[in-house]
Amino acid sequence: MKKINISVHQVTRVEGHGNIVLNATDGKIEELIWEVAESPRFFEAMFRGRNYQDVPHIASRICGICSISHTTASIQATEAAFGVQPSQQTLLLRKLLYNAEIMESHVLHALFLAAPDFLGVGSVFPLVETHKDVVLMALRLKKLAYNLAEALAGRKTHPLSCMVGGFAKLPKLSELEALRNRLEDALADLDITVDLFKTLKIPDFNRETEYIALKDPKEYAFISGQIASTDAGLVPVDKYLEVTNEFCVPHSTAKYTKNKRDSYMVGALARFNINHDQLLPRAKRAAIELGLNAPCHNPFMITVAQVVETFHAVEDSIYLIDQMLARGLEEEDNLTKFRAGRGIAAVEAPRGILFHDYTYDENGILTEGNCVIPTNQNHNNIQKDMETLVPLILSRPEDEIRHTLEMLVRAYDPCISCSTHLLQVSFK
Amino acid sequence: MEENSVLVVDDEPIVRESIRDWLKDAGYQVATAESGEEALELIKKQDFNVMVLDIGLPGQAGIAVLKQVKAQRPWIKSIIMTAYPSAETTVEAKKLGAVHYLVRPIARDDLERLVRETLDSAGRERTVTTEVEIRPKPPVVEVVAVKKSLVITKEGLKSMVESLAKDMEIVGVKSRHGKYVYDRIASFEELHLDYDVAVTPPTKYLLPARETLLKFKIGDEPKVEPVIEAIPRAIIGIHPYDIKAIELLDDVFMTTNPDPNYIARRQNTIVIGVDCLNPSPKSFAPSMDTHLTETGFDLLLTNIGADYMVSVGSEKGADLLAKHAQLREPTGDEIAKQKAVRDGALAKYKLSLDIPKERLPKLLEESYDDPYWESRSESCLSCGSCVMVCPTCFCFDVKDNVSLNLKDGQRLRQWDGCVLIDFAKVATGENFRHDKASRLRHRIFRKGKYILERYGRFGCVGCGRCATACLAEIASPLEAFNAIVESVQAKEAAMRIFREVRPEIELYAPRLAELVKVEELTEREKVFEFSLKDGKALGHRPGQFVEVSVMGIGEAPVSVSSSPTRDGTFQLAVRKVGDVTNALHNLKKGAMVGIRGPFGNGFPLEALEGKDILFIAGGIGLVPMRSLVQYVLDRRSSFGRAILLFGARSPAERLFLDELAAWSKSPEIEFHETVDRGDESWMGNVGVITTLIPKVDIDPRKTMAVVVGPPIMYRFVIGQLKKRDLPDENIILSLERRMKCGVGKCGHCQINGVYVCQEGPVFTLAQLRNLREAV
Amino acid sequence: MKPKVAFFDFTGCEGCQLDVLNLDGEELIDLLSAVDIVNFREVKTEREDDYDIAFIEGSISRESEIPRLQKIREQAKVLVALGACACIGGINCLKNHLPMEEALKIVYGKDAKYYDTIPARPVDAVVSVDYYVRGCPPITAELLKVIKALLLGKEPDIPNHPVCVECKMAGNVCVFERGMTCLGPVTRAGCDAICVNSGRHCWGCRGLVDDPNIDSEKDILKKYGLTVEQAVEKFKIYNTYAEVTK
Repeated sequence: MKKINISVHQVTRVEGHGNIVLNATDGKIEELIWEVAESPRFFEAMFRGRNYQDVPHIASRICGICSISHTTASIQATEAAFGVQPSQQTLLLRKLLYNAEIMESHVLHALFLAAPDFLGVGSVFPLVETHKDVVLMALRLKKLAYNLAEALAGRKTHPLSCMVGGFAKLPKLSELEALRNRLEDALADLDITVDLFKTLKIPDFNRETEYIALKDPKEYAFISGQIASTDAGLVPVDKYLEVTNEFCVPHSTAKYTKNKRDSYMVGALARFNINHDQLLPRAKRAAIELGLNAPCHNPFMITVAQVVETFHAVEDSIYLIDQMLARGLEEEDNLTKFRAGRGIAAVEAPRGILFHDYTYDENGILTEGNCVIPTNQNHNNIQKDMETLVPLILSRPEDEIRHTLEMLVRAYDPCISCSTHLLQVSFK
Repeated sequence: MEENSVLVVDDEPIVRESIRDWLKDAGYQVATAESGEEALELIKKQDFNVMVLDIGLPGQAGIAVLKQVKAQRPWIKSIIMTAYPSAETTVEAKKLGAVHYLVRPIARDDLERLVRETLDSAGRERTVTTEVEIRPKPPVVEVVAVKKSLVITKEGLKSMVESLAKDMEIVGVKSRHGKYVYDRIASFEELHLDYDVAVTPPTKYLLPARETLLKFKIGDEPKVEPVIEAIPRAIIGIHPYDIKAIELLDDVFMTTNPDPNYIARRQNTIVIGVDCLNPSPKSFAPSMDTHLTETGFDLLLTNIGADYMVSVGSEKGADLLAKHAQLREPTGDEIAKQKAVRDGALAKYKLSLDIPKERLPKLLEESYDDPYWESRSESCLSCGSCVMVCPTCFCFDVKDNVSLNLKDGQRLRQWDGCVLIDFAKVATGENFRHDKASRLRHRIFRKGKYILERYGRFGCVGCGRCATACLAEIASPLEAFNAIVESVQAKEAAMRIFREVRPEIELYAPRLAELVKVEELTEREKVFEFSLKDGKALGHRPGQFVEVSVMGIGEAPVSVSSSPTRDGTFQLAVRKVGDVTNALHNLKKGAMVGIRGPFGNGFPLEALEGKDILFIAGGIGLVPMRSLVQYVLDRRSSFGRAILLFGARSPAERLFLDELAAWSKSPEIEFHETVDRGDESWMGNVGVITTLIPKVDIDPRKTMAVVVGPPIMYRFVIGQLKKRDLPDENIILSLERRMKCGVGKCGHCQINGVYVCQEGPVFTLAQLRNLREAV
Repeated sequence: MKPKVAFFDFTGCEGCQLDVLNLDGEELIDLLSAVDIVNFREVKTEREDDYDIAFIEGSISRESEIPRLQKIREQAKVLVALGACACIGGINCLKNHLPMEEALKIVYGKDAKYYDTIPARPVDAVVSVDYYVRGCPPITAELLKVIKALLLGKEPDIPNHPVCVECKMAGNVCVFERGMTCLGPVTRAGCDAICVNSGRHCWGCRGLVDDPNIDSEKDILKKYGLTVEQAVEKFKIYNTYAEVTK
């Protein structure tokens, strides 16, 4: 009798706390659960009664790694509620700031959190000895993303200058010019990253699912557009609840979602599958070199899609800075006229589509809020992937099964502290 | 002390008594003396503001009295009466500080006027609240007549600035959020010359918020290197009050202990002022006489409508104009216009002092215990805004920053301020200004009194920034000055040129010293013997201190505990009470530390010579005391009796056991000791140190008491000594404060107007009588 | 012997830990040559239960977190609270005000396993804390300062004066003068007034100075147009756990 008892308590190298439980006897799976164990944080409760200026500040703290995504979603939802249309300049700055987060988050995941799996070590730290150049390059890219965010918003984690209505402080054009030069240099670093990823052995595992991401006819969408599903086509952002269909499971402090099938996937691979045509040239070339072709149904390729998107973010940043240098930046009045109302915004966080939905009273005080977090939307898909993957590998040694499952979870780059934002769920 | 007390000294009863009556009628407190001897007896018992003295007392007694008074009571103003104003005695009397003379026969009106003027002028000169002599500072500038005023067009000014920008960085006033700030100017269009006040002053370009003083290496080859950074820079548009503030900073940083970092920046800076024509509503510059200036700038602009008047204030300014600008001579109308716009600006000031500023020091002195400070400070946030925006504030802190490799680092200087809660906190945890009322009072006293006494300029230029920055609306010195009042001339046109100042490049750079011996004294104290790496002797006097650096950890003041009469090394006994002292305790023989100093005055060896000396040491007070005890024993014949009283808290806390044992047996020194609490092994006295004093027999006339111990001890010991009739002049104390920089700049060790690192740490009790924060 | 350093996360966004990786290449190499990072779940798989210095991120908001924290305290020679949530409770404590929580307890009490939640609190409400690296997120340089101080055996020098000092050093126009309100006058400095430098105001994320003049600050907030309730709300965002809002 072969017994397999795998219990990974708190998967490492992911953001937040999640457990994997697998019990099987003689090839028969008795229990297989992706369990979310993060401490619930009651963000909805924290928002309620807050002034609209403080809401994005608190929203940022949902997640330390994608704080720019949450801040942006929060600002845009608030602006939607107030009927405020940000200026062209604000949108350029917002997109550039957003790119900084995509770059930083993807580099962190691909090179610091996921790469050690492929290189057979437990963390990035031993790589300082064995792959010093790669580590230094990764730190360089991260630093660039940090400095870009610093120039635009004061800092990367929990950004400051971006606010409802615009930017409280503008970057200096000279700073942007200097950053532009570093972004050019970063393209060469990314070529090295592509070369590195070409050598890594990505597990071959495919399971088709529904892919959901924002789509904007004008560009590879991050902070604008409509909800697009590979199963259901386009859905307006305001109807997000019809897509997400959140529900609760007893083994998770986070809520789960499903749309047309048992589960759906969001994130870099979903975006790639839906928007790959709109990638900028270097990103497209990188996808080809890395063997990433749409549609791709291998969740382990999420990390590869992140590398491709990093290329896109760098290229797009150069493009955005060029626009700013050409038009200049002017101090704008950020005073916001608030009013009672509801506003919904969707952005593409590094890990996938993110919704913030707010209702304000006539004093600009938030009365109700709801956030649907990308990782929540992926939890169910992770579970379904495991259910398909485990029978295929059950004959392998226990350590290898454990490692493969951990790699699968890590490929999704789950952001678990985000995903346990609420507790108005009911367990019945 | 009565503020209007007069002593009349004359041997002629009629003169003496009539003067007494006239002055009494005029409302003065009057005492009389018929001889020099009587006068000197009187001033020992009682203080006077003014002495009216017959210089012709028999047998040169008049001059002798004047000499004695100058030595013992320097704050008494003397008016002499003489029959012959040109006589030699009169000249000598003036040399000895007599402020006026009256020619006999004396007219009542003249006498009253002179006495009144003398009393009124008390604030104009340094008011001596203490006998501590604050070292006079030589002025750093010479005043020379202004050469000329010229006119430049606005277009011409623009090309001048643009031309200047090719040679140096241009800093000026820019608009930000509807206010004004000093910042780098990229184009002339950004520059504002018509602003009211900049949020923070331009002095940050001379004394930046943070700067590196030293670079150091730790480890096998320790190294210390001064860092001095400056770039050529022109600051355009400085208002006269800020120029006055810069003049004060020049005096602070360029005279005694010339600061290399400040001087480098100052000498690389061109000051282009502009007259303030639209003053801030919070400004009271005219009351401080800083709304206009004839000195302190290289160039000064006045907006006279179509064009600017340019006053040339220095050679540097003249050279600059020659190289970068085109000018013309002003017309008579333009000169009149300049005066008219200045007068117009003067009329716009809304706030003013209720009294002439010269009276501030005295008023403040009298208000020291006023309940005003307590009530005023109630809403104080101790947020530091007032000092951080002040153009004349210059106090700083010094910290070490080590790289993550723990091998090298920098010593950094950054702004600090006396209103911040930890400013006067020492390593042992004691905070000498722990309540916000005393901090607020200290700041206002610096503005209106202490700085004036030290540097001859007011510490407030009336810019109004602190009043604007203070959210609690309590920071304005003007309001404080005026509130205190309630509860209680034309200058020569001149241009300033710097005298050659030679910065002390090594001012903040320690000398390396090797630890040659360590010995444990108690659980908490060790004695360290150091030898300077350059082979030189430390060159200290007993009672002086050094600044000891453990690079990377920081710097701390430590008293030298060995006598200079001993061999080439020196000893520091150190209690573990903070980072630096903890780090010292971890050092092994052979380790290198940094030493700056010796600093401070040390014990007054000359005054001790020939006297009986009563040493009273409590606890680690024995550390600095030991340097003097050794000195006296090594020069035994120069002194009278030597009596040492030593008290420790417990037998385990006794220091220098070998020496204690030797002293107790030595015929050279009478030694008594006690412990607060004994134990089984302790056979000696038990009780606090004051219990030893009645046991010794002393002659108060020829005994000098030297007292060193924890702050709490002083009050009780002084009480006992006074019971033994020891005069204040014969009681000598050494005080500990947070002597951070050691060179009279950082402000941390200040006790009222006195810097402990400069005028101290050794004081006579007589000197401390008016230093309220001292004991 | 290099000290062994461990990072532990409790209830929070994990931004503090991520900022630890915001180092220059040189710095990371220097850091790794100075200390052994033995436990860092977010970036490292291997774990060790033998460590000298423990950094705690997040506030304590679940019953189950208490024994876990106590165990860490027993093991660690030095325990450092990292970030606002750990140091002062931070925004997690906002939930402590709400009757909703009581309601949840009543409704979902039987599902304690899933709803294990208690009023959020800072680390020092549960175990003793040796050092604090404050802020949301902490300033990386200050984290390094504390690590260096620990390595050198000196007290890390963390200011005990308000943010105003550094804000004025930075030459900012006062937030109040710009028509906004600010907690800078009572909030502990050390951040170089980064929020004001970035055009915003101080939210108080570094906690209060040791002896804050709260009454005066509240008077000032009122003078600048806030109601008493709004003034208290302002303090709540980070400083709910401190006495001021009680």
